Amino acid sequence: MNTEKATCKEVMNHICDNLGEELDSPRCVAIKTHLDSCDSCKKYFTSVETTIQFYKKYNVEVDDNTHKRLLDFLGLED
Amino acid sequence: MSEELLIQKAQNGDRAALAQLVKNYEQTVYNFSFKICRNKERAEHTMQETFLSMVKNIGQFSGKSKLSTWLYTVVSNNCLMLARSQKKHDYSSIDDEDNLISEENIADWKITPDQISENNELKVILDDAIQNLPAEYRVVFLLRDVEGLSTEETGKITELSIPAVKSRLHRARAFLRNELNKKLSYEH
Repeated sequence: MNTEKATCKEVMNHICDNLGEELDSPRCVAIKTHLDSCDSCKKYFTSVETTIQFYKKYNVEVDDNTHKRLLDFLGLED
Repeated sequence: MSEELLIQKAQNGDRAALAQLVKNYEQTVYNFSFKICRNKERAEHTMQETFLSMVKNIGQFSGKSKLSTWLYTVVSNNCLMLARSQKKHDYSSIDDEDNLISEENIADWKITPDQISENNELKVILDDAIQNLPAEYRVVFLLRDVEGLSTEETGKITELSIPAVKSRLHRARAFLRNELNKKLSYEH
């Protein structure tokens, strides 16, 4: 397996491919080493993580009227 | 009362158990529907149709998979069906591997996820960005990254192989990141 220095493009691809997965192959170690020392890739990593967080935190609540309409629609009113 | 028991009672015609199952999942289904549709009216319609399908078919539910997986499948299929009947997406930017991940335009962002609840302008940006993402990619991104399902569960719901789920997730992440970067980076 290739353990040569990783390029920014490769690191960015890796981030999108494997975010959230614990990988410890030699190639992943080379990529983590690059990430630790490359400002651009760190920013890219943060922006991908932030993208996911934005969509996780943007939520809507079922209000009382919506709940009532649902039970009414299903014929399951209290 | 356990979910298994609730399902059994609902299968035997217990309406209170059926109503409890609806109550247990309405928030999850409504939120997921909204995240796909980005429209509260359409999300409510999708939620109603999803639970109607549950009420009609609860008798056939075998319990082999989780009820939540079954509900996610109904919402996802509803979304994909709707998308096929609507405008066609432009796949060129998501299919262009070279431009999808670019070393250019890397900058800090001027806003953090904690600011989402009080920032309506940001909500519009997020809605616009994900609506530009083709539905087949949107569903995978939402199931895997936002709802936190496993790659295997996501594959089962979308009827995709594991490599196909990973490929779509990779492209969806990069695409959305690029869309948001245009609006949120300090350099713009």
